[in-house]
Amino acid sequence: MTPPWVHRVAFPVALLLLGVLALTSLAIGDMHLNPARIFSGLLHRDELAATILWNIRLPRMLISMMVGAALASSGLVMQAYFRNSLASPGLLGVTSGGAAGAVVMIGLGWASASIFVLPVAAIVGAMISTSVVIMLARRGASTERLLLAGVALNALLGAVTSYVLANFTLSYERNARILFWMLGGLEDRTWEHVMMASPIVVAGAMLWPLGRPMDLLSLGAREAQSLGVDIKRLRRSMLVLSTVLTALATAVAGTVGFVGLIVPHLLRLLVGPEHKRLVPLTLIGGAAFVLACDLIGRSAGGLRVGIVTSLIGGPFFLWLLRRQA
Amino acid sequence: MAAEATSVTALTVTNASVPGRIEGVSLSLAPGMLAGLVGPNGSGKSTLLQVAAGLLPATGSVSWLGRDIGDISVPERGRLAAWVPQEARFEFGFSVRSVVAQGRYARGDDDYGVDLALKQLDLVSLAHRPVNRLSGGEKQRVMIARALVTEAPLQLWDEPLAPLDPRHALEVLMHARRITRAGATMLISLHDLRAAYCLDFVVVLHQGRLCAAGPPEKVLTPELLMEVFGVRAKQLPGLTLELP
Repeated sequence: MTPPWVHRVAFPVALLLLGVLALTSLAIGDMHLNPARIFSGLLHRDELAATILWNIRLPRMLISMMVGAALASSGLVMQAYFRNSLASPGLLGVTSGGAAGAVVMIGLGWASASIFVLPVAAIVGAMISTSVVIMLARRGASTERLLLAGVALNALLGAVTSYVLANFTLSYERNARILFWMLGGLEDRTWEHVMMASPIVVAGAMLWPLGRPMDLLSLGAREAQSLGVDIKRLRRSMLVLSTVLTALATAVAGTVGFVGLIVPHLLRLLVGPEHKRLVPLTLIGGAAFVLACDLIGRSAGGLRVGIVTSLIGGPFFLWLLRRQA
Repeated sequence: MAAEATSVTALTVTNASVPGRIEGVSLSLAPGMLAGLVGPNGSGKSTLLQVAAGLLPATGSVSWLGRDIGDISVPERGRLAAWVPQEARFEFGFSVRSVVAQGRYARGDDDYGVDLALKQLDLVSLAHRPVNRLSGGEKQRVMIARALVTEAPLQLWDEPLAPLDPRHALEVLMHARRITRAGATMLISLHDLRAAYCLDFVVVLHQGRLCAAGPPEKVLTPELLMEVFGVRAKQLPGLTLELP
């Protein structure tokens, strides 16, 4: 079991790590900025630094953090809901649902009508995916059933996206936007995208009080109900919050895979399975993970963040499967 | 049985049916009663316990301490009744102690009685072990300890003795007797008919219907055992286990 000192230091260490990564994310790029220039840039005392920071790096950093926090916490909630540590928005097809919703809107040319079109379409797509997964794999479902449901759904939604890409659009610009969603990326994000993703902060905060009942639920729904947990209400909140979190992240950054699997898993190994610790740590850890992946991608000549998370996540998932077998 | 229901009973199930599982089952238990539920595999014992615990929708009605459970809020239900499942499945490595402490959820997670319950169920040395790495019998003791810390006046346990070794099975029966003497009411399903003889009251289920209820020496007759279980029974003075 985890020694108590790990519990004590985990939260401050995670915050410190996030702070360092955030600062690095503001510092590096085509033009490196030292902490003093970052400070004066943020205060508009250095106009060149201010332009770089306020127009490019700050929105990108904020979106990285929100997307990471959203995907990781969404994975944590799905794992508790399905009582299966391999459940995550990517593997279950919820991310693909969100992406398909967004892609259809871009294909139809409706995405530019309002900044709400993409997030709403992503939420609707993700909700449809979640409902299908729940129908296919009931609560407490075996790993095989859950993963097979996810495989089927991912293939189906992949076909929808490819169909839109191949037949719906005629413009290079729309195809480029669709490809962006399929690969997942944080390039050219603006304050409009920050606004679009900002409900993530509210949804993340709403997870906080669910930590304790989620502990009880992850040991069995009937058991939890017998101990006084309002299971119907809890499950509804969990599903809505995890789906909305994934959908918003997908609406601003496309399909960024494996975050919801890796982050809760590593943190559970580190601090144990209790959600009162895991919920805040997963929010911070997810933010730090996506920031770190984006930094790796930027240092490796502009690799998309979705590609970096998949390059790390794929082998990690295979390791997990081997460990479980 | 119906006449008894008019006095204050701890648990009353009236004409409960779950299609394909139980049909028209009624029973009532007086406060402080230690009752057993026996019947062959598939006779509806687990279903009846879950209906009685308010965890499975059924036609008919269930009341606890004279109140219809429909009028009792979910958190209050957590304080009034504890249910032990037949088999616990743990996916995550919560510590034994933290799982037992969950029994205090409906009372504000105050941790009261957790250490005592760990001691009573012989779990002190396992307190910090991950619950998903325990044996079947150890897991069952964790679930029983969790039910004990709820201090709920109604205790509904589904085959608590099945995975336990003789010593722990005897100890669990002793705890059951202790808490019913203190005023709790218990209904436990079991297959060991010798253990059923130690209880105050026995309910026999057969093919989803209640076929007998009463004190064990009156109910568990060779004729009934033949009819329900299809086995011939003979009473012999035999081996009786006692705790040291």
